[in-house]
Amino acid sequence: MSTPLSGPGSATQTPGRGPVDSRPPRSRAAHHAPITLSGLVGKVLLLGLTAGIAVWAAFPLIDGEKWAGLALLAATTAGLFYLYLTRRHIPAKYLVPGTLFLIAFQVIPVLYTASTAFTNFGDGHRGSKDEAIVAIQTSSVTQLPGSTEYALSVATKGDPATGPLVFLVTDPATGTVSAGDTGGLRQLDADDVAVATGGKVTAADGYTVLNFGQASARSKEITDLVVPTAGGALRSSGLSRAYEGKAVRAYEAGCDCVRDTATGQTWTADEEVGAFVAADGERLAQGWKINVGLRNFTRVLTDENISGPFLGTLIWNFAFAIGSTGGTFLLGMLIALVLHSPRMRGTNLYRVLLVLPYAMPSFAMLLAWRDMFNADFGLINNLFGLDVDWFGQPWTARFAVILVQLWLGYPYMFLVATGALQAIPRELTEATSVDGASPWQSFRAVTLPLLLVALSPLLISSFAYNFNNFNAIYLTTEGAPFPADNPTNGATDLLITYTYRLAFGGQGAEFGFAAAISLFIFAIVAVVSTVGFRRTRKQEEVYS
Amino acid sequence: MTTLSGAAGTGDRPAVNRNVTGRRRNRWFAQVGWRHLVAVLGVLFSLFPIVFVLSAALNPLGTLSTTELVPTGGVSLGNFSGLFERTAFERWFLNSLLIAGVASFASVFLSALAAYAFSRMRFRGRRVGLLSLLLIQMFPQFLAIVAIYLIFGTITDLWPSIGFNTPWGLLLLYMGGALGVNTWLMKGFFDTLPRELDESATMDGASHAQVFFRIMLPLVAPILAVTGLLAFIGTINEFLMANVFLTSTDSKTLAVGMYGMLQGNERNNNFGIFAAGTLLTAIPTVLVFQLLQRYIVSGLTAGAVKG
Amino acid sequence: MRIRTAGVVALFALALAASGCGGDSDKPAAKESPKAAGGKLVIWADDKRTAALKPFAEKFGTENGVTVEVQAVSKDLQTNFVTASQQGSGPDVVVGAHDWIGNLVQNGAIEPVQLAAAQKSAFNETAIKAVTFNGQLFGVPYAQENLALIRNTELAPEAPKTIEDLVASGKKLKAEKKATETLCLQVGQNGDAYHIYPLYTSAGGYLFGAAANGDYDPKDLGVGKPASIEAFKKIGALGEKGEGVLKRSIADTNSIATFTGKKCAYLVSGPWAVADVKKANIKYDISAIPGFAGGKEAQPFVGVQAFYVAAKGKNKALAQEFVANYTTTPELAVALYNAEPRPPALTAALDQVKGSDPDLAKFQEAGRNGQVLPAIPAMAAIWDPFGKAEAAVIGGADPTSTITAAGKTISGQIK
Repeated sequence: MSTPLSGPGSATQTPGRGPVDSRPPRSRAAHHAPITLSGLVGKVLLLGLTAGIAVWAAFPLIDGEKWAGLALLAATTAGLFYLYLTRRHIPAKYLVPGTLFLIAFQVIPVLYTASTAFTNFGDGHRGSKDEAIVAIQTSSVTQLPGSTEYALSVATKGDPATGPLVFLVTDPATGTVSAGDTGGLRQLDADDVAVATGGKVTAADGYTVLNFGQASARSKEITDLVVPTAGGALRSSGLSRAYEGKAVRAYEAGCDCVRDTATGQTWTADEEVGAFVAADGERLAQGWKINVGLRNFTRVLTDENISGPFLGTLIWNFAFAIGSTGGTFLLGMLIALVLHSPRMRGTNLYRVLLVLPYAMPSFAMLLAWRDMFNADFGLINNLFGLDVDWFGQPWTARFAVILVQLWLGYPYMFLVATGALQAIPRELTEATSVDGASPWQSFRAVTLPLLLVALSPLLISSFAYNFNNFNAIYLTTEGAPFPADNPTNGATDLLITYTYRLAFGGQGAEFGFAAAISLFIFAIVAVVSTVGFRRTRKQEEVYS
Repeated sequence: MTTLSGAAGTGDRPAVNRNVTGRRRNRWFAQVGWRHLVAVLGVLFSLFPIVFVLSAALNPLGTLSTTELVPTGGVSLGNFSGLFERTAFERWFLNSLLIAGVASFASVFLSALAAYAFSRMRFRGRRVGLLSLLLIQMFPQFLAIVAIYLIFGTITDLWPSIGFNTPWGLLLLYMGGALGVNTWLMKGFFDTLPRELDESATMDGASHAQVFFRIMLPLVAPILAVTGLLAFIGTINEFLMANVFLTSTDSKTLAVGMYGMLQGNERNNNFGIFAAGTLLTAIPTVLVFQLLQRYIVSGLTAGAVKG
Repeated sequence: MRIRTAGVVALFALALAASGCGGDSDKPAAKESPKAAGGKLVIWADDKRTAALKPFAEKFGTENGVTVEVQAVSKDLQTNFVTASQQGSGPDVVVGAHDWIGNLVQNGAIEPVQLAAAQKSAFNETAIKAVTFNGQLFGVPYAQENLALIRNTELAPEAPKTIEDLVASGKKLKAEKKATETLCLQVGQNGDAYHIYPLYTSAGGYLFGAAANGDYDPKDLGVGKPASIEAFKKIGALGEKGEGVLKRSIADTNSIATFTGKKCAYLVSGPWAVADVKKANIKYDISAIPGFAGGKEAQPFVGVQAFYVAAKGKNKALAQEFVANYTTTPELAVALYNAEPRPPALTAALDQVKGSDPDLAKFQEAGRNGQVLPAIPAMAAIWDPFGKAEAAVIGGADPTSTITAAGKTISGQIK
């Protein structure tokens, strides 16, 4: 975690080394002041709550014998107690609450996702090899041709909740009832059983017949119970029918292959692709997840479909992000400035109306905008008497998506700029006016720099958000227009929508590949943002 | 007092002339009128797609192909009543209010704590931390869903009351995003507050917590209101994660429930109802905005700096 | 002093925690006992079907002493189901279209359903064929749907025999200012493979050839073959640079609305459109989609909605019981029909509702020569490139280069 002050802050050269560390020299005189009653009570309550939650969370962990989880819980709780009882590590006191959530629900998912970039994780390769084998075997179970369909009742000789299970099956043709378990089928005496009209056994001497409620509570045991018969095995189909079936395909450890007992064909495990492959190259659909090393990354670099249009898409992606961010910022700031006048009347009403686009659910409005741009039926062409195929030409489509973003995003900038303008001490601008500066000069010299102090971090994050603004494209143009001979890369495609199509458009989702491309995109945005971020250092210290 | 900014505000020299009224009108336009003009244009731009949605909501046929701003097939409130009859809209509405209300309040608080530290304290890893906050947000969410299932699958097994299909699980997940853009935003505003304020308070013996709660928080009330509103809107519109979490009809939020109306071939038939729902969804946001507006535009800051 | 304060705070906190957890700890114990009594069945469906299923699922629950929960996943039901199943937090039963089967099977997410011969024969043959994959029955179908030609009988009293007839009659209406569009067939900016498919087959194109066992063969891809190029030449001739019958501006969002607004006399759509058409008080009739003169029959896709048993569900026995023995009853099929008028897959249920709804038989007739929508995973690679090629050709692009490129993209995506 973050360490406390590593030394004098670069900009705060005040005698007391900044606000935080200024206490030590005075602490003897003032050390009673910080411990107020309300502070103490608050601390006790919050720490008590923490401990309470920890204890509550511990019970299921103990029940489940998850010792590692318990240790983590104990360590976190102890860490929190230490942090808020000590007088040191002041920054951490403020950062830890949010950071804990951040790590659990953002950092870990991102790291996990990034780790899949080195696997073939995706549809058909989601689970382990064992899971694939189970899936292959169970989905090859077929009913023996001409075999009997039994009516089934689940029963036990012991307690309904725990006793060993027995299948009581009735042959519909003969009406004979047999009891079956892992030892096989034994016929029961017709006098000992009561059979309902459907053939289901309702009572049998020596057995307790389970009702649906009782039986369904032991679902796993029922599906796992296989009664061996001469030709195959008797399995349950639900809770009221049983059939004689056989798994046609079985895994053989000796050859590490799957054999089809009906045709004799074999599929050998190929650890390179994570699938069972026959001699003729045919694959079984159920594969498993394997590590592929850097293969996904080399594919990004070498696949012509990706590297070919990459540069063009990247340039447009930057243009889109800059255009959306810059446009919304300029428009938002302009209107905020316009309304920021003591002589303006009705600003409250204006603000409410201006903020409306932001209040509407954005996905709904994106769909509405898409329809408004329709070439023949769209509101825009009809209202303005135009005949523009908006989404059919690259430049009009690009203009349209940026316009939509402008509409969606400027209320946000307007709000933030309004807040920022309120926070700028009026004295500062008044002072420059007194000095005889024109409004424009005073805006340039005072208002804008201060606005930028408050907003430039936001501009960077807005840029980053728009750089990956999936919905803006996916719900409007879907990347259109596409060149006739290349359906994979459209004129308004961002890298993210393009990735999505590549990774999820094929024969099923390829999460590993998508994660690899995302890491590439991530690297690009990270570099750009870091460069932008470095430039904020100066502005940050504007008051110091 | 002069106008703060703008190209046309040119002093307050009294005009004593024959054309007083004309001049006055000109001056009025130069100082205030043009502002109204720009604001009205902005409002028109804002409203025009919304009017389109409104006309779809009032159109009894309720389809998306309304090429006119005024529905030709007559006006009816059938879509609004259909919304309440055919869907659990009021439940969704309440769920959304609850989740968005709690989530925005909690995330603003967490964010403010962190922003205070980032703005006022100097510690190792500060700038790296800030940058990481930003970068983390940039990972595509649709990829993270797999991991979310993994994490919350375990949580649901252990603690079902905060797992899938509970608003608490969703709130926890939203708290993961509490430190992010909002922290940046607030940090930017904390930076604009003069340091002398908290320094003098510290000199007077206030603890860091007192500085934070008694001095900083009231001063940044406008930005707390703005971030609170942004968080509220963000949560009410959040869809991807809520869709994964809330599957029973009664626990859905507005965004999830309404998206469900648009699925597949339903898009055509339901658009009128959907448009009605879209308009109603905006109501809580507008109300929250109204509620917070006085904080957003309050002159608290200006006064405090003087003292 | 400092240490003392810290100690006092810690002590207080712990005391508080102890009192807090005293209340907490007996709760879980109380909760567990009722749960153990009966099993719980969780069903996932989309919003509309959730509403229809709920009363029946609850009835199943009370009759059998189990808890049944129907949950709606509003978006991406298929992907969420696969992901959730893999992590063990999925449902026991899922409801969805039959073309998911390929993907669900390759992920080991669903298991075969064993139906008795008598149960199977109660279903429409096409429906059973649709849910059969690799020779195994993977779901229980309940409804079936396909496209047909819906026409406004006030404008077009006669059902057209060929596309050419349709175009001629539509153009005449346009010239008489009775309509503004010839045909409402949704294309959209990025095409719509599902809706153009009948014309594509009529003009001689195909998607996948048939393998020896009658399944679709992903290795024999029809897109990009000369026949498909010829087919798209015919489609292109109807496009924006040709007859102007097919347009990208007619899309999923406005095609039905344009028809109900009486702006076109013909609509290519499915059973889901009928409710709107009725609401708009349009006199209509339903017939098969006509083919090109001298061409093959126009074959729409036939899709089936089905119930599946999740392979990693917590209560598989109950799920099998529900799917194999409860959803096969006509009562449920009729109820689902009442919630949404799509032809039931159970013959008995269809017969029951056919009398009151003549449209069903007409839709079924229109889909008589239809092709079962391929369920093989390779089909997922078709939709997007095929649709875009269609949109490009309709917009006036050269069919030869466009379709060749689409064929290349698709075959590159198929493993």
